[in-house]
Amino acid sequence: MSGPILETRGVTKAFGGLVAVDNVDVGIEAGRVTAVIGPNGAGKTTLFNLITGVYPVSSGEIRFDGVPLDNMPPHKRAALGIARTFQNVLLFGNMTVLENVMSGQHPRSRYGFLEAALRLPKSRREEETITLNAIKYLNLVGLGLYAQRDALSLPLGQQKLLAIARALATEPKLLLLDEPGAGLNRLEKQELGDLIRRIREMGITTVLVEHDMDLVMGIAEWVIVLDSGRKIAEGTASQVQRDKRVIAAYLGEEVE
Amino acid sequence: MLSRVRGKWSYLAIAALLLFLVIIPFKWFLGQYTVILIFIGIHTMVTVGLCLLMGYTGQISLGQAAFYGLGAYFSAVLTKTHGFNPWLAMLVAALATGGFAYAIGFPIFRLRGNYLALATLGLGIIMAVLFRELDQFTGGPTGITGIPYLSIGGFTFDSPFRRYFLVWFFCLAVLLVSQNIVRSRTGRALRAVHGSESAAESVGINVAQFKVKVFVLSAVYASLAGSLYAHHITYVNPSPFGFLFSVMVVVMAVVGGLASVWGAIFGAATVRILSDEILLRFGEWDVIVYGLILVLVMVFMPRGLFVALKEAYERWRLTHRQRGAEA
Repeated sequence: MSGPILETRGVTKAFGGLVAVDNVDVGIEAGRVTAVIGPNGAGKTTLFNLITGVYPVSSGEIRFDGVPLDNMPPHKRAALGIARTFQNVLLFGNMTVLENVMSGQHPRSRYGFLEAALRLPKSRREEETITLNAIKYLNLVGLGLYAQRDALSLPLGQQKLLAIARALATEPKLLLLDEPGAGLNRLEKQELGDLIRRIREMGITTVLVEHDMDLVMGIAEWVIVLDSGRKIAEGTASQVQRDKRVIAAYLGEEVE
Repeated sequence: MLSRVRGKWSYLAIAALLLFLVIIPFKWFLGQYTVILIFIGIHTMVTVGLCLLMGYTGQISLGQAAFYGLGAYFSAVLTKTHGFNPWLAMLVAALATGGFAYAIGFPIFRLRGNYLALATLGLGIIMAVLFRELDQFTGGPTGITGIPYLSIGGFTFDSPFRRYFLVWFFCLAVLLVSQNIVRSRTGRALRAVHGSESAAESVGINVAQFKVKVFVLSAVYASLAGSLYAHHITYVNPSPFGFLFSVMVVVMAVVGGLASVWGAIFGAATVRILSDEILLRFGEWDVIVYGLILVLVMVFMPRGLFVALKEAYERWRLTHRQRGAEA
């Protein structure tokens, strides 16, 4: 494909004595669905937090679209085109479903305090675009009917879809999904798989941390395996499944 | 759908309010109520700022009296000592107070929760001490007298009746501007900061900057209110700008409904009337009564008196309609 959209070189993160991510080199190919797997505490979420700028790296370099991210704060990375969801969802509980998605349009709109305070034409024009786009993303995840509900009144499965819609509304090039399948039932997971395929068709590169192997094997074109902060393997799903180190570290003997 | 209903509500509120504002002073033209209504207007302006900061953005401030006092003292000193035009003084006061809030905003908003409350409390106390002790500028405990009234052309706001309209003109402008902000991209960003700072950053919202900006806005509101106060009473001294006022503003915001712009009027009116008519009898103990009101409202009407009354009315209307349908 068109080469890596995201590259990490020797990325390391230490919390005191604990090395959560240890000298990790990964390249995320543009346009592909990549899964990051590994046992609990392998450093998957920490890697996401380093990519999105929640923590600074202890050492190493992250380049997105050829740009070194260094100490760029998270909101600037979002503007560059990195979006994410969170393991614990983190919707805006003080807003409706639609408003949550509208918030996602923040980096793609410009008007500020003054235009808002005086309701200048610019604010009305942009507000219209923001609303239409938000409805579009809401429909994409299938929540169009619930636009005016309070975000937290939705059941967990729909909350997770809403979080994805909010992330998509930032119009990212790279979408990081942190355990999107956790807590979903079988049907919801199927729908999630379909949604991720549709996101891929939109040309958005997707990386997901996921424990559900059926989901991973069904949609991931590339799998990266972390264990104790180190990358121990990568490859296609079937390659990784046959890798001895992966089996030992993660999948367990019975997979054989 | 819902937003249309909400829109109707706010137009209703505005219409009712305008009616109320115009009728009341004619009715009690010479009564004490004109003065109380002037104060309600002034307090509402300070309260709305805190609502934006606390109710929408989730950041507490126990030091709003500092900005209110800065506005009043800037207006007093600039007009009385330096002979500024009062309107220009008001503008300079608002800019200077806003600038001051901006400068202290970035270090202060590195703090959260209780620490932020303590820092803003400290700010209020420091400013109160400065108002009292910098007597070569502020006149110390006796303050500054003989501040001129505001005037437009040859029209001077020299009676409470005239100032009532002046103050409520500013108050409504502040309320309208605040409502516009709340319903905008900026308002969503503020609420996002309240909802989850991590998630707000993840959708490109510069959390630190929005906190400081809304803090500056609240300071500017308070400064304008302070200037109006100075030109209303024509006299400033340190006592109205102390800790008690900061507490009163918090109580007004909570009673009115933290996340409600128009509720600020109800909060300011309720607390002001209570304090003028009833709490005077408690003397020094009044701060305890404020505390009690705060606790009771938080427990029984967490979204404020305004919202509680509105919901009670809607429930009443609903049961009324059902009964009508049954019969």
